[in-house]
Amino acid sequence: MRKTLLSLAILSLAAAPAFAGNAVGDTAPAFKLTALDGKTYSLADLKGKTVVLEWANPNCPVSSRHTREKTMIELSKQHGEVVWLGINSTNPNSGDYMKPAEELAWNQKNGINYAVLSDPTGATGHAYGARTTPHMFIVDKDGKIAYNGAIDDDPPGRKAKAERVSYVGHGLDAEKAGKSPDPATTRPYGCSVKY
Amino acid sequence: MTAPKIVLFCTAVTLALLVPRPSRGAASEWSVNAQSQVRLVTASKVAPRTGEVWLGLQFRLKPGWHVYWKNSGDAGYPPAVTFQPADVLGKPEILWPSPLRFNLPGSLVAFGYENEVVYPVRARLQPAAAATPTSAPQSKPAEPAAGGAPESLKITADLDYLVCQVDCIPFRYTLTLDQPVGDRPESDPEIAPLLQAALDRLPKTTGEVAGVTTEVSLDAGFTNGPDLEVRVRGARADAGKTDLFLETNDALEAGRPRIRVLPDGVVFHVAMKPRETNKPLPARTPIAWTVTNLIANGHTFSLEARRDVAVSTGIAGPPAGNVPQPPASPDRLARLLLSAFLGGALLNLMPSVLALLLAELFVLRAGERGRVREGAAAAASGIVGSAWLVAALAIAAHRAGLPAGWGAQLQEPVLAAFLAVVAAVVALNLWGVVEAPLAPATSSVIAAASGTGRHLLAGLFATPLALAWPVPLLQDPVSYALGRGPATVAAVFAVVGFGLALPYLLLAAVPALVRALPAPGGWLPRVREGLGFLAGTGAFWVLYALSRQVSPEGIAFIELALLAMALLAWLRHREGSGRALRAILAVGLLACAAGALWLADHNRLIPRNAATLPTTQTTATTNTIPGG
Repeated sequence: MRKTLLSLAILSLAAAPAFAGNAVGDTAPAFKLTALDGKTYSLADLKGKTVVLEWANPNCPVSSRHTREKTMIELSKQHGEVVWLGINSTNPNSGDYMKPAEELAWNQKNGINYAVLSDPTGATGHAYGARTTPHMFIVDKDGKIAYNGAIDDDPPGRKAKAERVSYVGHGLDAEKAGKSPDPATTRPYGCSVKY
Repeated sequence: MTAPKIVLFCTAVTLALLVPRPSRGAASEWSVNAQSQVRLVTASKVAPRTGEVWLGLQFRLKPGWHVYWKNSGDAGYPPAVTFQPADVLGKPEILWPSPLRFNLPGSLVAFGYENEVVYPVRARLQPAAAATPTSAPQSKPAEPAAGGAPESLKITADLDYLVCQVDCIPFRYTLTLDQPVGDRPESDPEIAPLLQAALDRLPKTTGEVAGVTTEVSLDAGFTNGPDLEVRVRGARADAGKTDLFLETNDALEAGRPRIRVLPDGVVFHVAMKPRETNKPLPARTPIAWTVTNLIANGHTFSLEARRDVAVSTGIAGPPAGNVPQPPASPDRLARLLLSAFLGGALLNLMPSVLALLLAELFVLRAGERGRVREGAAAAASGIVGSAWLVAALAIAAHRAGLPAGWGAQLQEPVLAAFLAVVAAVVALNLWGVVEAPLAPATSSVIAAASGTGRHLLAGLFATPLALAWPVPLLQDPVSYALGRGPATVAAVFAVVGFGLALPYLLLAAVPALVRALPAPGGWLPRVREGLGFLAGTGAFWVLYALSRQVSPEGIAFIELALLAMALLAWLRHREGSGRALRAILAVGLLACAAGALWLADHNRLIPRNAATLPTTQTTATTNTIPGG
């Protein structure tokens, strides 16, 4: 009996692990997803690099406005040091769903030169609590979420591009300088993710 | 984007950029698209020179489409508008009518309006600039300006909005109004009532509704993350319609509100999730909320308030000051585990738990000296084992999105009824009318005292008895653990179990301690029966807690079921000589216990899925506009 009690005690004290979540400071949820071009990307393989995750849906007018304005395309080019990944969590039953080949062709035509991953089950989207397209995350070199929110401060896109505050741009500058993004969280805006 | 969508979108943008001609009067032309139409309205035909001017953005939406509240929810964005001339209008303020909730695929929600909505806009004319570029200079009196053209106020609204069904489409329009200016403003018979109706639909502040009070609190140690409680007293809830809407908070992300209807009001609980776990929560945070569809004095209204709320972090919260304190620091974990252990130990003093503990200690005292250690260890493992069972339940509840946390067990009627039944069974056992499966009945105290299995069972029963008591010390560790994950929950509950098992653990370590109790004698049966009453208080306490979850009739029937249980147990004890009769009575007893749980389930005040309010409320607005 004493042995049993002892093992119970050891078991109960041994458990204090860190669980992944979507709050800033949490360990970013792991994923292994296939990109539109067939390559597989795993977050675990990207440790040591800053990663930007952009929830994307070419059929969402808010996402496609940013594509037209080259918001993400230019920002990812400016920050060559980061790995920029689009993630499309659209449910195949949704009217917005595009087959990977179709979406890849659309991306190439519109100048999206970073990898976009398919998450048709929505599992990765739900793990990150992705709500909108675009919904942006910065995962720092240690695999922790450093930023969760909107791309910028201008949901309707009313301001001239230079006048917008690019939260992700500032966040990446901060990461590069070894600091933390400020603000680290904002309200994402856009269409709902079509889970 | 698919080709038709691109065409649609480009057409919309192009059309939108064609500025419509200014419309003279109290309303601009409608700007129309396939999903919606919008115009700028103002209350009067003739604009005043100074003072307040009421404007409005009037939307009509095709069925299924919505525009947004100031917090759009998980997606979308609220309309954005700038008014010109800014030097005349100052900074007009857009007001937000009571919103509705729209459920979207993927458990996302949006807050906004469907069918028809008018956003009232309050502007204060700037006296120094009352004359607009198109009007006569200010120095001139209120006569027609030189050249004969009347003075006029031309208002333009640059509007951006997103209209969504599941798909979303952004639109941009410039809405224009051209109004004569005069000393005697004249209200427009069509628009003024429309705007008035919109103003009537705005949420009220507590001061505006007599007899209604509100309370809001944030408890960082209640459930998974801070629990926000919003309480309204003095108004009735409209079942299925009353809802809580929160504005965005910088530090905390709101989950779905859970509603609890009270006889004199309504309480909402919202699980709030820290947006940043690598920073301490602020000591205070602004909470702005709107509760819709309240009824008082025969009127339906919404209530809104904005409060600077203190975040009560309890003993386990991060230390004062601005030192970032990661939540999993060994220091905090140690304090939480200590809190769990002390809380568990403290549970031994709760009446029903204490009754079983004392009865069990007397049994150990009466038993063989050499077997005290074995018996105590068995009881302790029973406790820790059942604590783990509870941990598994808590994890499952948490996963299912049900309220979980120390105290939440009393909010689930079936579980609470079960706890009442357990307390009643223990009381009946101590009274000697139910002999199995607990510590033996009065008549055979000494004979049966040695069974290790019985001690284990007594331990198993201690945990549900203890669950009836919401000890505050346990709230922090349990909610912390639920926020971290299953392994932490198992660990914390095990520590709580060890705390609860503390008396037995001490006895297992030093069996001689049992000699401190008086030697058994003729007094023992009477003391045991007395302890039965102590155990019975547990059942009464749970019934009291249940009265907030179950209708008064439900409570009355549950009490009858418990009484019938006691009657059958007593009959079985007194008259149950025949094997068949005893079996029948036992089945009846179990049926009564099951009946109590069923009654709790079927008389709950709050439907099980109250958190998901209906999405389609067909009467979105009460405004009706004659003509177009």
